[in-house]
Amino acid sequence: MSNNKLTVIDREGSTHHLEWEPDQTLMEALRDNDLSVLASCGGTASCATCHVFVEKEVFDTLGERSEDELELLVEAEEYRECGSRLSCQLDFSRHLNGATVILAPEE
Amino acid sequence: MREPEAMSGHSAPVMIVGAGHSGVAVAAGLRSRGWEGGILLLDAEKETPYERPPLSKELLKDGAPDESAVLRKEKFYEDKRIDRLRGITAEAIDRKGATVLLSDGSRHAYHRLVIATGSRARPLTVPGAGLAGVQSLRTRDDALELKRLLVRGARVAIIGAGYIGLEVAAAASAKACEVTVLEFQDRVMSRVTSAPVSRHFEQLHEQHGVRFVFGAAVTAIEGDGRAERVVTADGTVFHADVVLAGIGVLPNQELAADAGLECRDGILVDGDGRTSDPAIYATGDATRFTSPVDGASQRLECIQNAQAQADRVAAHITGQQAAVPEIPWFWTVQHGVRLQTAGVRHPDDDVIVRGEPARGRFSVVYLRDGRLAAVDTVAGLTDFRPARKLIAHGARIDPALAADPGIPLTDAILDDANSPGPNPADAAPATARI
Repeated sequence: MSNNKLTVIDREGSTHHLEWEPDQTLMEALRDNDLSVLASCGGTASCATCHVFVEKEVFDTLGERSEDELELLVEAEEYRECGSRLSCQLDFSRHLNGATVILAPEE
Repeated sequence: MREPEAMSGHSAPVMIVGAGHSGVAVAAGLRSRGWEGGILLLDAEKETPYERPPLSKELLKDGAPDESAVLRKEKFYEDKRIDRLRGITAEAIDRKGATVLLSDGSRHAYHRLVIATGSRARPLTVPGAGLAGVQSLRTRDDALELKRLLVRGARVAIIGAGYIGLEVAAAASAKACEVTVLEFQDRVMSRVTSAPVSRHFEQLHEQHGVRFVFGAAVTAIEGDGRAERVVTADGTVFHADVVLAGIGVLPNQELAADAGLECRDGILVDGDGRTSDPAIYATGDATRFTSPVDGASQRLECIQNAQAQADRVAAHITGQQAAVPEIPWFWTVQHGVRLQTAGVRHPDDDVIVRGEPARGRFSVVYLRDGRLAAVDTVAGLTDFRPARKLIAHGARIDPALAADPGIPLTDAILDDANSPGPNPADAAPATARI
């Protein structure tokens, strides 16, 4: 399986192109590419510090958000009903190949 | 930004002793902050540095893989030029020469030294504590050994009803072990939470067949070559095939203390993670520091602190600004029910229960001088994120409104205009829209 290519827009608005390796979650791919993702729960949908926005077309192809993930996301100031995800809950997926991911503001 | 040479140090690397959450976060943080000099990471264990929280949770489950999630992939360390020595510990620091003597007899120079040695399980000291079958849980090897012992029908005596003891109790009961938890206090998790939360988790465990004995002072472990019985001060004998001691941790401060660095139940560090030697930092579970929130001297045993201190150390070494740390937070999962806590509760805080514990999902809000100091959320995270922000702002809360789970916590804020906060400079944000 080849890597996914991703475009990431950071909190300063800069664009980064990176590769996402198949055995990683999106959070891990972001973090290993030095993007500022705190992920203080280690990827267990507990802290909401890896909040990202994905485009609606891509969002619709991803699985349902768990109750924990949703409860954390809806309390975010910039929660998007059809766009907010915790990147630690997104496994490698061809639907995300070529997608643009925006880092949500830190709170 | 400093001059370029300041971003590479000298010929000697930044040496990090310990490859747990904090040590690895220092290494990663140095690179993401542009440090170009060498980084040498010392790991007492031999595998890829791994996550610890799953060791007492997922890893113990039947059918779960024996590999714990790694903190970073092997490739990350190569890509970031983080040199690692595995199965090696630091034996002594020569502060004058800026070198460290390692357990393999070699000596390595450092430009800056970061002590991230973490903590170890507090050992049982009663007679018989050294018998086979008496376990503690700190490393992956500990977890795998425990997993092997937790077989159907095994009698498991757990000493201490803290996070670790209770997580293991849950895992053991799920594997049809016969579980008894012996706790000296009169309720579970008494150090970290209030009575309503304790009661809730006691009932949850009891529904899964776990037996509690409170007020139990263990005086001996007995057995013929292996643990067979646990004896308490009143003479009661509990038969056991496995004994787990979950009685807290001790900071691994000896390396620092032997080098003359100031220690007092933890290596003393300032807000930048500096020890009493300006070339030596310490971070994570091994440290003691003054809380920026309430000025209390504290050790924090949590990932949030391991990461936040690591960031401050990496920032200080590279001459940059550190991120504002999150409010300390903690979590445990028992029988699939998550207890997640933000802030550090004091025993004399006002306790307000939000919701019906009997329904399985509720929060407990802790007020100190009328301000939100901490929150526990049980089986739901709705209050967690708002509470974390309100705690950071020292928000004053209306107790009556906070007791109504139908009202968002952010709508329970009192007007703070005429009331100075714990730190007057911080009073203003409490009224701001947050």
